[in-house]
Amino acid sequence: MNDATDLRADPVVTEIVRNGVIAITEEMKSNLMRTAYNMIIYEALDFTVGLFTAKGETVSIGLGLPMFIRGMAETIKAKLEHFGTDGIKPGDILLTNDAYITGSHLNHLTFSQPIFLGDELIGFACCMAHWPDIGGTLDGITTDIYSEGLQIPIVKYQREGAVNEEIVSIIRANVRLPDRAMGDLRAQLTAIRTGERRYLELVERYGHAQVVAAIADIMDQSERAARARTLSIPDGVYEAESFMDDDGVSVSDRIPIRVRVVVEGDEMTVDLSEVAKQVRGFYNSGITTGHACAQVAFKCLTSPTDYPINDGSFRNLTAIVPAGRVISAVKPAPMRWWMTFPMTIVDTVFRAMTPAIPDRTIAGHHADLVIAMLNGINPKTNEFYIGLIGPTGGGWGAKQSEDGISATVCINDGDTHNSPSEQLEAKYPLLIESYALRPDSGGAGRYRGGLGCENVVQARADLMMNAQVDRMHCKPWGLNGGGEAAGNAVTLRADGVWQEDFPNAKLLTARILEGDAFAVRSGGGGGFGDPFLRPAETVADDVRQGYVSAEAAMRDYGVVCDARGALDRAATEKLRAARPAAAE
Amino acid sequence: MDRENAEGLRLAADIGGTFTDIAAFDAASGRLHFGKTLSTPRSLIDGIADGVDKAGVTFSQAGVFLHGSTVAINTMLERTGAKTALLITRGFRDIYEIGRINRPDSYNLFFRKHEPLVERALRFEVDERLYAEGTVYRPLDEAGVRETCRALREEKIEAVAILLLHCYANPAHELRVREIVEEELPGAFVSTSHELSQEYREFERCSTVVANAYIGPKVKGYIGGIDARIRGDGFDGSFLVVQSTGGLYDGDQAQRQCVRMLESGPAAGVIGAQALCEAMGLKNAIAFDMGGTTAKAGVIHDGEALTTGSALIGGYERALPIQIAMMDIFEVGTGGGSIARVADEGGLRVGPQSAGAQPGPACYGNGGAAPTVTDANVVLGRLSPDRFLGGEMTLDVAAAERAVADGVGRPLGLGTVEAAQGILRIAVTAMSHAVKGVTTERGLDAGDFAMVSYGGAGPLHASAIAREMGIRRVIVPRSPGHFSAFGMLFSDLRYDYVRSRFIRLADADFDDIEAVYRELEAEGRAQIEKASVAPQRIVVARGADMRYVGQEHSVTVDLAPGLFAERDRAGIKARFDAVHDLRYGTCAPQERSEIVSLRVTVTGMLEKPVLEKIARGGPTPDAGAHRGDRQVRFGPDAEATPTWDRTLLLAGNRIDGPALIEEHASTTVLHPGDSMEVDAFGNLIVSVGGSRADGRTA
Repeated sequence: MNDATDLRADPVVTEIVRNGVIAITEEMKSNLMRTAYNMIIYEALDFTVGLFTAKGETVSIGLGLPMFIRGMAETIKAKLEHFGTDGIKPGDILLTNDAYITGSHLNHLTFSQPIFLGDELIGFACCMAHWPDIGGTLDGITTDIYSEGLQIPIVKYQREGAVNEEIVSIIRANVRLPDRAMGDLRAQLTAIRTGERRYLELVERYGHAQVVAAIADIMDQSERAARARTLSIPDGVYEAESFMDDDGVSVSDRIPIRVRVVVEGDEMTVDLSEVAKQVRGFYNSGITTGHACAQVAFKCLTSPTDYPINDGSFRNLTAIVPAGRVISAVKPAPMRWWMTFPMTIVDTVFRAMTPAIPDRTIAGHHADLVIAMLNGINPKTNEFYIGLIGPTGGGWGAKQSEDGISATVCINDGDTHNSPSEQLEAKYPLLIESYALRPDSGGAGRYRGGLGCENVVQARADLMMNAQVDRMHCKPWGLNGGGEAAGNAVTLRADGVWQEDFPNAKLLTARILEGDAFAVRSGGGGGFGDPFLRPAETVADDVRQGYVSAEAAMRDYGVVCDARGALDRAATEKLRAARPAAAE
Repeated sequence: MDRENAEGLRLAADIGGTFTDIAAFDAASGRLHFGKTLSTPRSLIDGIADGVDKAGVTFSQAGVFLHGSTVAINTMLERTGAKTALLITRGFRDIYEIGRINRPDSYNLFFRKHEPLVERALRFEVDERLYAEGTVYRPLDEAGVRETCRALREEKIEAVAILLLHCYANPAHELRVREIVEEELPGAFVSTSHELSQEYREFERCSTVVANAYIGPKVKGYIGGIDARIRGDGFDGSFLVVQSTGGLYDGDQAQRQCVRMLESGPAAGVIGAQALCEAMGLKNAIAFDMGGTTAKAGVIHDGEALTTGSALIGGYERALPIQIAMMDIFEVGTGGGSIARVADEGGLRVGPQSAGAQPGPACYGNGGAAPTVTDANVVLGRLSPDRFLGGEMTLDVAAAERAVADGVGRPLGLGTVEAAQGILRIAVTAMSHAVKGVTTERGLDAGDFAMVSYGGAGPLHASAIAREMGIRRVIVPRSPGHFSAFGMLFSDLRYDYVRSRFIRLADADFDDIEAVYRELEAEGRAQIEKASVAPQRIVVARGADMRYVGQEHSVTVDLAPGLFAERDRAGIKARFDAVHDLRYGTCAPQERSEIVSLRVTVTGMLEKPVLEKIARGGPTPDAGAHRGDRQVRFGPDAEATPTWDRTLLLAGNRIDGPALIEEHASTTVLHPGDSMEVDAFGNLIVSVGGSRADGRTA
């Protein structure tokens, strides 16, 4: 993968290499998933694998986390700068979890394997994965990085084939579940070795120069596609604003999110200068994530189904991300819940673009993983455990021509799975009382927003719970007259009585006694267009299915029907006439 | 009916999307008969009857009738099943819609999610709850179930699926709900989840039981209808249906456990490949099937066809999972009809869009203008324009050339021949991914495998795929276009059971494990006892899904009975470590392991046809078999390439590539460097020449 070779790419080889690199990152992904120890990797798919050029440019990413679109490339570039190309040898494996480089949190251990063809460094195979514990405080809030766990600067985990056992000892001494951690570490090594082996096979098969030319060609094709789609957006300056509930420290202080997008010809600039400054609680992320916000929003709007995910797609995107913002925080800002705020930034970009391309954007979504973390002693095994409820999956926004999708993971995550309740109950001392859609949680609209979910969890033995959920107050917004959706929430039940009046959805340390319960609720998606324009039959069917209550049908849609969805046409016409629908 | 001993004719019918294939084996003469007709969607049985006629046999001669059909999968995919209700544990009515919440199409704001087969209004909750251990947390509210049944009657529900949490640990509540529903709705098709899967994961099990109920009434009517019709035509033997594992079950059982036959046709092909391997003394082979819209690969390893515990039906993003044992088949959207196009930004893509049967490839002359894989083969001279389907159809070469030139050549600045070769190279790499999916990704080296290639288009591309994968031997069976029906003739009765049981190996109670195994085995033996055909013997295989403590995904480890008899924890652990290492290239012998599910397969071995040998000849084929030369392109230039009539080749005949070997529904391409010998059974055994480096000649 060096650009010294100026070979015209053979279009057939390009296509074969395209399929080849996608297949390699898919295989890296499946090997990681199936050998990993922790549920966050194998069910939540909180990882990303990838192939990169010798300069650290992205060739193909296997998701994983859509929001980690940039984290690995930046990590490789930092490693290259740290060691210099000459300082990287065959048999080396490079490691770091530096949160300010990855842009995320210390749980993201990133391993990179340089790929050598003979003596020549031709690329990298890389794997980031989330470890469930990296030390630091178990729950509560953090206000600097030092309380969040072990920091590993850029180091060689393996030097010319020899594992650095001292680093292994340091890691083992700092994490609560060292055996699990070593299991995940082995899985990550399997993934990068797979990437190295398969990439070398591809290079041997087609020749290094041909593969390099093909990769350049793939990037150029991606660039052309992105430029063509950007050109189809009317030129202009587009702005929008939203806010986060709070930073977990100052509970009543809302945090502003302002974005500005400039489209000029086939170039787009996403300006995040007006996003809030970094905050005291652990909702910060590094500048890499600031850029990732812009890239994710841009890809969704310009090349959503272009694969492999590669750097060519972003050549016509400029992101303005000054340091010190909540998505470009500097040391020692706490980063543990790095993923929450960026999702709302992406959503806000879609909101900004709606006047220009209403047919390509989407109303607001629940924008949070809606997770509860648990820990305690499992009475069956007498062992300490760290468990996870969620991601819960919530509602997605409606679009100009489609209803929103219900019960689907937020935009930070992609092919992420929830955990079967039967599995959670076999593993942890829990009884899941229900896992259900929340009626009326989707925003009303000509197209209705998707529904959120509620998970009610009873403790069968005393345990500790912590939840860091946002977007309770800033509810998923509707577009073009569509209504807002229900927000996220977390509540507790003690001695049979639910407590609902929490000021936010952050229960940073809660003790749940045997028989007591907690509930995590994900919000819905915003509606799109005037709800009075939604056909009465469709609203009545929503009532029949129980997605919308008869009361909400009358209140939000002007549709009169009974609880089984039998429509009263005359009453509906009368009600709708009293408040005519806006023209669409 | 008396239990048949499989005397008389063994008759197999495979209904596919386009064709209905018949294979029959006459034990008395040792002869095989084949028939092929177009499928008759309105009344599939008519197609079977036609095919049986064409094969020159009758139902009354048959002692056993074996059947595979797309009826189950089509009912599911086309959503033409029964009006179905779901009864599910209180609090969980929405899990079937929530699913696993994943969004694989991660950047697409217009992503889609699976669509349940039962709408929310017809999903009813049952008051009951078990703990994970199987003990009762909340007793079953029987009166409530009866009340729900009244609502079901009002809704005129035809089928009812029942899923209760943790039923694999204790099926009592599911069984009782079933009894009540059967009393209250006597005509309904009722299905409980534990009868199909005793494995944890409520969404997957729910999707499985709903699918079974949803397709149940239609499949039941279909199987019952065929049974009545063939018995009316004088059939007095055993009617057996092929399951997705390739094993057989009784027609009566197929009428209740309908999801077990979803993938019967593709599975039967793998069984056919396994039978060929056994006859030839081969232990490892890839079963490669290429048709009009897809290519599929299965694998035979150490003589066993590899199966999987679950599958996703209907495309990953919107799939409905089915959690039962199935043949492990990897499918890619590349077939003869796959369309090649140049994407907006300039990339050349092949498939997954297909020209289908209508309009079909451009060369069919039915108005198709898009270039397909078949058109590329025509341009390169691989397919004879006047011998396609035995000459029943003439191919339009000019139309194929025009389509390839306009659709691919000109936009990319390539000549027509170069464009056609490019299409095939891309198709071949895509199909190689299917082969990798079942070998490399399981830690197996494809180079150690032979490839059995069938389906109409398989033999056209087998040699090129083999080169790509480093496979040295390709086997093209007799009648590759009828291979699934042929494979059915070699199937055995088979019952697969799995039960989730979370046990750490270190403190495993072997008596408990042994009891579960014996219970599952007894169930299998009872089913075989009930079947209408008597097996020669019964074989039981045990396995366990195992993982390291803390992992989620497990691997299935085959366990010899001795390992349990000896209570050999170290032996079981070592076996698991080895399987893990093979599959993932890593293992952790010092780590603790646990069992998550116990598996049993009970097989009733049936008598197999003995393959008929063909007449023997010398190394040189009869001159009469040579049908003249045709200009074929393997490199940039056309070369005169001999074509041969396969039906006139004799055992021992040898042909070196380049050459084309033509038969009714297929053409085998021998590339330069390949050599082929006809074996005693009439199979073409191709030694693949050259190395991967000459992959330019796909």
